Amino acid sequence: MLEIRGAAGRVATQLLITVLVAPFVFPLWSMLQGSLAGDGLGNYSSVLGLPQLPAFFRNSLLIAVCTVVLVYASTMLASFALAKLPFVGKEVLFYVLLLALTMPSAALTVPLFITVQRLGLLDSFVAVILPLTALAIPLNVLLARGFIAALPDELFEAARLDGCGTLRTFWHLVLPLIRPISAVVVVWTFVGAWNEYLLPLLFLQSPTNQTITQLPQFFSTQYGSDQTKIIAGAVIITLPTVIVYLALQKLFERGLTAGAIK
Amino acid sequence: MKTVALTRHRHEQSTLTQHRAGRAAKGSAPHGPRRNNVAGYLYVAPAVLVVVGIVYFAIVYTLRISVLDWDGLSPDPVAVGLDNYVRLVEDAVFWRSLGHMAMFALAVLVQMALGLGFAILLHSGVRAKTLYKVLLFLPVVLAPAVMAPVFRQIFDADGELNTMLRAVGLDALAHPWLADPSTALYALITINVWQWTGFSFVLYYAGLTQVDASLIEAARIDGAGNWRVISSLLIPLTRGTTVTLAILGVIGTIKTFDIPYLVTGGGPARSTEVLATYLYQQGITDFHVGYGAALTVVLMIMSLVLTVSQVRRFKLGSEA
Repeated sequence: MLEIRGAAGRVATQLLITVLVAPFVFPLWSMLQGSLAGDGLGNYSSVLGLPQLPAFFRNSLLIAVCTVVLVYASTMLASFALAKLPFVGKEVLFYVLLLALTMPSAALTVPLFITVQRLGLLDSFVAVILPLTALAIPLNVLLARGFIAALPDELFEAARLDGCGTLRTFWHLVLPLIRPISAVVVVWTFVGAWNEYLLPLLFLQSPTNQTITQLPQFFSTQYGSDQTKIIAGAVIITLPTVIVYLALQKLFERGLTAGAIK
Repeated sequence: MKTVALTRHRHEQSTLTQHRAGRAAKGSAPHGPRRNNVAGYLYVAPAVLVVVGIVYFAIVYTLRISVLDWDGLSPDPVAVGLDNYVRLVEDAVFWRSLGHMAMFALAVLVQMALGLGFAILLHSGVRAKTLYKVLLFLPVVLAPAVMAPVFRQIFDADGELNTMLRAVGLDALAHPWLADPSTALYALITINVWQWTGFSFVLYYAGLTQVDASLIEAARIDGAGNWRVISSLLIPLTRGTTVTLAILGVIGTIKTFDIPYLVTGGGPARSTEVLATYLYQQGITDFHVGYGAALTVVLMIMSLVLTVSQVRRFKLGSEA
């Protein structure tokens, strides 16, 4: 888009972008370096040797997978109905869902903490999964409904002529056709749930029930001021996310543009 | 004609079950009489139940608690009317936390400018484009909670930032960034910009892909230089993306919690407190549940105002 003249210009541009990107890489580089200070790789073996570590990962995975399943199922069913089925009051229901579009999880802390305590659900994963699901549904319905609405009505008419009920239509027609948007819903819901800090902090209190976002604090109590091990822990927690992102890079970007550009 | 007849036949047959009739009315005759497909309610029910059961419940319950003086445990909370809200209006920490959020929101402009700059540069024949894209976007997917200790170390009095400053002879600038109330907020905002610039970048990058190359060519023929192309073509043509990013940026601002809570804990001297950290401290840590609820109401109002402005956009836009 810019006109860059000559080899010198091209080299200068390349240099400029490298210099500008460097500060964005710096924290990652600093993280790697910090994790190797002191005991070197010993920091890693010490962190990996913690008996609690697998449980943290398992809990995060469990919460993220359950959230994805619930969000996916409820979002797609609702989006299909809101896009293609006629029923009275559907606009109202759509706006009922959208109300939570920008609700931050911090806004749920006080009311839900009291409620969860009263229901005796403290320290149970449900207390994290359900609020995460509720907060993720609106945006995903917005995305998926728009996508399904854009599918040609003729397809649905043909399915109906073939004697397909709504459930079969949903299963055999809608689900295969919405794969592109499904991938987006799944990936971003997973990332959101995996990275969530506040809700697990609030509701999961016993050490065996914590999630990976609680690890840095857990390490602080384990290692006190030994910052290098805490940073090594951060690298270990970050690594799966980085790998998944690198593997699905295109998908992540497509998700953003699908969601934000019309 | 045959198809039409068939459709009608089918249509009549299927009125046996309301279920099918709904589909027929929908598929073939969008302008015909609208039928009510009861199945629709069943499909929407799970989503509505979860959202209403959690979010709507939370809103109503928060309003209820916000007129109480309560520690969250005692069986008989005291009703105090609007006292919590009066206290809120007089609470300097509350207003300061709003001011800090405004600063976070303003910094979104920095993110957007950087994002647009990177997008334009990477559209200009730079080598190893994917590498730069990946490096810029990586912070977006990393958990802020996990990066917090890394940033605490970088901004520490003996941290990497000061080491670098000293290495290039800028000793005078070296500073305990997070321990000084006058710089801590800016350090946190820097972390935020670090995390979200990749997001702006990806959206602008996609937006620029849709710019018609012949427009730029025509401008060049008319003698436009690079700055002219950016200011008169690229910036106006990506206006939609700019608006989207501005709104998403404000939404992100009201969600800010992890970074202040974990990097500075809202301190030193409340200099990095935002509404979310303050209500957490009041409502959860200090058991001032009533007051925490009043603070929550403010956060909820912000969110609802944003949502309404968003929904308007979707109504006006092509999304049907």
